[in-house]
Amino acid sequence: MSTSVSEPQATQAIRIADVCKSYGDYPVLKNINAEVARGEVVVICGPSGSGKSTLIRTVNRLEEINSGGISFEGQDIHAPMRGSELNKLRSSIGFVFQSFNLFPHLSVVENVSMSPIRVKGIAANVAHDKALKLLDRVGLADKANSYPGQLSGGQQQRVAIARALAMEPPVMLFDEPTSALDPEMVGEVLSVMKSLAADGMTMLCVTHEMGFARDVADRIWFIDAGEILETAPPEDFFKNPRHPRAQRFLADLRH
Amino acid sequence: MIHDFITIIQDYWLLLLIGQYPNGPLGGLANTLILSALAIAFAFPVSILMALARLSKWWFLRWPMTALVYVTRGVPLLMLILWCYFVIPLWTGADVPSFLIMLVTLVIYQGAFLSEVVRAGIVSLGQGQMDAARALGHGYMGAMRFVILPQALYNMIPSMISTFVSTIKDTTLGYVINVPDLTFAASQVNNQLLTQPFQVFLILAVVYYILCWSLTFVANSVERRIARRRAGPRNVRLPAEAAPLKTITEQL
Ligand SMILES: Nc1ncnc2c1ncn2[C@@H]1O[C@H](COP(=O)(O)OP(=O)(O)OP(=O)(O)O)[C@@H](O)[C@H]1O
Ligand SMILES: [Mg+2]
Repeated sequence: MSTSVSEPQATQAIRIADVCKSYGDYPVLKNINAEVARGEVVVICGPSGSGKSTLIRTVNRLEEINSGGISFEGQDIHAPMRGSELNKLRSSIGFVFQSFNLFPHLSVVENVSMSPIRVKGIAANVAHDKALKLLDRVGLADKANSYPGQLSGGQQQRVAIARALAMEPPVMLFDEPTSALDPEMVGEVLSVMKSLAADGMTMLCVTHEMGFARDVADRIWFIDAGEILETAPPEDFFKNPRHPRAQRFLADLRH
Repeated sequence: MIHDFITIIQDYWLLLLIGQYPNGPLGGLANTLILSALAIAFAFPVSILMALARLSKWWFLRWPMTALVYVTRGVPLLMLILWCYFVIPLWTGADVPSFLIMLVTLVIYQGAFLSEVVRAGIVSLGQGQMDAARALGHGYMGAMRFVILPQALYNMIPSMISTFVSTIKDTTLGYVINVPDLTFAASQVNNQLLTQPFQVFLILAVVYYILCWSLTFVANSVERRIARRRAGPRNVRLPAEAAPLKTITEQL
């Protein structure tokens, strides 16, 4: 590939170029090339163990890669850089985990306001007010002073989304945000994600919620065995998937 | 019998409390308390640094610290005390007071034990908390300070208290290098009375028991307060993974 990953591209939020990663001899990501435009919502789907989590975690460098590059807003996030520089880049990429990973020793509002205060140096009272607004946005204003252990899974995940939003990231990554939830709580989290998408947030979501993918996604990436086999708008992907493994994956999902 | 105790305490309370002070160095219970408090106050941060070094990705921090912790934990405290007592003056060429030697030894020894507890506390939190902190833009040290250590240290309170209690008990070993502490004072009293060792050393035992018990008591109530705050006003319960304090305290 002749194009450098750090070449500024006006419309691209994320650009993944020739990314390879393996654990020992086992290749998890094989020559991934893909991009996410600003304001775009991309859903990554694929069978278990196909490398979805690994891929999304390389985007904010929670995982290192072996070769290739990933640019975020024109900056190569896997380039050698000082720790403080990487922290700054990471703080502008929101990440929502499957298992919420809220900080159990902090109250809900502290969970949301802590990083703006400690990382960005925002005044405590300003961060607190902002946190309350974000909690209101995810429908949890009344839980501000509760602790994560007192909340249901759906509520915890909404707090986790508010916590990520508090850093005002232009891009949000979701790794199976509803997979750890009881079925009756999936809807409340998805509707927060839908409202984010409606506000124009750039989103990259790993999810098995095909209803969400159909309604909200601009494009679907189908990944299997560490390769992106198909990228298509949802209507094409669901109606006539081209790759046989995508066809099988969709057939399996239907029963 | 009761009369004996009262007489001993009436005659020697000042010696047991402050040693020869002001005619000699400060000793007795006061010195035991100071030594314990200093040892605990230094062993605690030292143990965190040792644990972080052992978890470091840099071998030049990890290997020497691992060796130090293993050696320290595998050697009787008395050996370590005697060794420091003879070696530190040789190295420094200075006349180091026995109090200071005892303090340094206790800090290294208890720090090593405590560092294993800290390390286990950090490891048992799992990767998720660190990932979440890093994803929000915290550096390693920031994540440790605001996310990992507050949780790990809280989960460690029971084991930490048991180490602190054994630190208090271990100050008695300062006797062998003539640290003028409570044990030292008691044995002076015994040497003067000659006929009442049982009474003298029972008083000593009771004082140590009260010291250790109060520390455990205070720590217990602090732990309960934190647990109650986190569980909220409605459902008060200790987190499942925190074993009852007594069972762990009594193992050491
Ligand atoms: N730390 C690791 N060491 C070794 N192998 C790993 C490690 N993490 C993941 N793998 C392997 O890499 C492959 C991809 O894992 P990954 O978690 O990215 O899959 P996934 O698509 O997210 O699956 P799931 O749907 O189950 O979450 C799997 O085969 C997994 O076993
Ligand atoms: Mg996964």
